[in-house]
Amino acid sequence: MSRLTRRKRHTEEEIEVNMVPIMNMFLVLIPFLLMSASFFHLKAINTSAPVQGESVVSDAAEKNRKVTVIAEIKKNRIQLTANSEAVLNEELKKLEYQIKNEKQKEYRFDQMTLVLQKIKESYPQSDTVIIIPDKDVVYDTIIQAMDAARYSQTSPALFPNVVLSGRVG
Amino acid sequence: MALGKRKKQSSKFVTPKLQITAMMDMFTIVLIFLLFSFSDKPETMNLDKELDLPQSTAKMDYNETIKMVLSKENLKLNDTVVAKLENGRVKGLRKDRLKDSDLYRKLSFYREQMDRVLEDGKKGDHILFFCDRNIPFKTINSIMKTAVMAGFPDFQFAVLKKEGVLK
Repeated sequence: MSRLTRRKRHTEEEIEVNMVPIMNMFLVLIPFLLMSASFFHLKAINTSAPVQGESVVSDAAEKNRKVTVIAEIKKNRIQLTANSEAVLNEELKKLEYQIKNEKQKEYRFDQMTLVLQKIKESYPQSDTVIIIPDKDVVYDTIIQAMDAARYSQTSPALFPNVVLSGRVG
Repeated sequence: MALGKRKKQSSKFVTPKLQITAMMDMFTIVLIFLLFSFSDKPETMNLDKELDLPQSTAKMDYNETIKMVLSKENLKLNDTVVAKLENGRVKGLRKDRLKDSDLYRKLSFYREQMDRVLEDGKKGDHILFFCDRNIPFKTINSIMKTAVMAGFPDFQFAVLKKEGVLK
């Protein structure tokens, strides 16, 4: 065996990383991270139920620009209408839409967002939507409708104030 | 003689090297996973296993005040069972006599307590509402109506964060 090969082997044997301190650090870090780990992320949607109260007199000029959208979630369609004290009825009629379900089952919330975007463009001060589901509509569908009404992919805020109400009468 | 031999053998014994590379790999993976799921506000809530919350694009954090949980089996108010559910209806919660229910009585009690604490009669409190995703609106509506009558018109609907979406 030549001297060169012997030296090479000698240096190769010496290079050995001491992993024990790293292991110690890991053993401290892992319990800490396990304690502060969150495996599900809870979030919240603010909503309110309609309450009988005194009507608030607001600035007439501001009123002109505001409409309240009513989204009725029926068995096989979503019906959108608008309500405003200052806007003419003919104008409000133009804001009426019906979005029929796909294959009689799936609600088309993407279409609902598009319609709401149009209304928002016409009345940018509007911020309230009243969602009126049918009695058999499940909670998951209501949450999807709220999501569709509150935000869209393109514009940040559509109708952030959501009111959930039952049908009157 | 035999004893001496054994003694000779034990002096030659070399401690085997512990191979920790595989363990290090495993620890690294665990560490990365835990770093990703790190939260400065870990969830400390006890949720029923059978409660299936809906997913939403909501990003807002909840504020815990009064916690109401509506599962397929029962209705809980601050971890106390208030009513049982039968065929999708809350037992003891009649449409025409909502004020006679235990739910109304308990919520009114909370309202009175809060009004005493809050200054100037401010009614800034809401109910943090956990509801199973498959519960129909007719059940939710009667509960919401009762809460409104007891002085809680504002709600926060608890949802699970949908990953990979804008809002």
